[in-house]
Amino acid sequence: MREFEVVSPRARLARVLLGSWAIVIYVFLFTPIAVLVLFSFNANKYGTFPFTGWTGHWYAQVFSDYQIKDALYTTLRISAEVTVVATIVGTAAAFPLVRSRLPFRSGVRVGMTLPIMIPGLLIGVSLLVLLTSVFHLQLSEQTAVIGQAVYTTPFVVLLVAARLQGFDPALERAASDLGANRWRSMRYVVLPLIMPAIFAGALFAFTLSLDEFIITLFLIGAHNTLPIYIYTQVKFGITPEVNALASLLLAGSLCLIALAFTLPIAVRRMRRVVRA
Amino acid sequence: MLFGVFFVLPFGLIVAYSFWVTIDYNVVHHWTLDNYRYFFSVSTYIHTMWATVWVSVVATAATIGIAFPFTYWLVRYVRRGALQRLLLVLVILPFWTSYLLRVYSWLNILGDQGAINRFLQWVHLTDHPVSFFLYDRPAVILVLVYLYFPFAVLTLYASLERFDWDQFKAAMDLGATPRTAIVRILLPQIRPGITTAVIFVFIPILGEYLTPQLVGGARGVMIGNLIVNFFTGAQYTRGAAAALLIAALVVILLIVFRRSLEVEDPYRA
Repeated sequence: MREFEVVSPRARLARVLLGSWAIVIYVFLFTPIAVLVLFSFNANKYGTFPFTGWTGHWYAQVFSDYQIKDALYTTLRISAEVTVVATIVGTAAAFPLVRSRLPFRSGVRVGMTLPIMIPGLLIGVSLLVLLTSVFHLQLSEQTAVIGQAVYTTPFVVLLVAARLQGFDPALERAASDLGANRWRSMRYVVLPLIMPAIFAGALFAFTLSLDEFIITLFLIGAHNTLPIYIYTQVKFGITPEVNALASLLLAGSLCLIALAFTLPIAVRRMRRVVRA
Repeated sequence: MLFGVFFVLPFGLIVAYSFWVTIDYNVVHHWTLDNYRYFFSVSTYIHTMWATVWVSVVATAATIGIAFPFTYWLVRYVRRGALQRLLLVLVILPFWTSYLLRVYSWLNILGDQGAINRFLQWVHLTDHPVSFFLYDRPAVILVLVYLYFPFAVLTLYASLERFDWDQFKAAMDLGATPRTAIVRILLPQIRPGITTAVIFVFIPILGEYLTPQLVGGARGVMIGNLIVNFFTGAQYTRGAAAALLIAALVVILLIVFRRSLEVEDPYRA
């Protein structure tokens, strides 16, 4: 703890004020989500205030709705493909970024992170124009995969590049001193070291892809992913069913993110245990 | 390379499109400034563009204004270690959940059928839904602040965390008031972090579509909605021109501030 022993009344006041401010912020951040989840259990069929009793009915409806099931399968298919593409492309892109002495390396670096910062809307419309008017593709799940991959790949690049930069390059030199060729040092030294980052990147890509909305809206054509389905429902007002579906999705992405954050740590710990 | 194809190429194309014309739903390769002239000849569009910039500025200022005291508290008053990390992760958590759902969740509170209106009717303060809370710019700004708050905290945290607080104490020992210490010692040193936070919040808000669409109503329209309308109406070249106006603004911002930007990886937190 940092020392602030000399606590004047004014300093204490500042501390209390800032602390209360923080509480207000957590309330602000979590109230909408809490309300959403609460209403998803609300027996009131308008899905809103007043709260008339607990029910699991809306969840049952979500699970029996074939449109939702359809959208879910589409979403999972797209996300799986996006994850594979983004992980491979992103990992491959991280190597030259960290290792080689590319000219304009920092420029390339910024360029790679641009898709994270550029509004998704712009990525969506420009890819729409490119894919339909230049490549003459029909809008389909595949075009949505391309769009989402453009957006998620940079996240994988950042994660893997950070890990590549993080480990001791002497390890690789040691491997080649011990007679490993480039392939073997890659396979037995580098890959195991960056594996946690690759894995985390894949999970991030998957989660982001599950939730992606705006790029998909432009590129998917007549199909529905879950976010698109929710969007079309929301236009007609709030329904308790959408609240239930939304709560399920929130829970799903939270689990995935928890996994992405804890898995690399868990893997490292497990390795240590195995070695000992 | 592949990445270049799917990222650089589309933008080049949008640039070209914005200078071509659409005739009978076909894009004709005829160089002209008509799309821009058209955009700037319709007063609604100009008005929307200014409204967009205005909303983005206000929302960004509010986000940073709210995030700074919070992050300051987190770094200075919370014990470094597990608790601090946990509190930070809690703030960033919503960022990883669905963007659409975070906007949608506000409809439950602000909407005509939302909690506030229902509550007011329930206690008989009013007998019809008050749309004061929704379908106007304040609602848009509120939701935007909500959406981009984690971005701001994350970038501010990165720079505040590296700040050497002994300098702060030294300043106070030399007789500076806390306010002087913040303004003269802390702020100048974390300026890059603040700039980064401003950029990270401002740029995505400029291209915002969903928030004005869902909670903005007719009065909350932003330029993103115009672009989508152009494209769904098959006015590709006009849409491209409008999109390019945003893109140009983004690029200008990035070039102006490139020196002070710190590109942080999102995982470090």
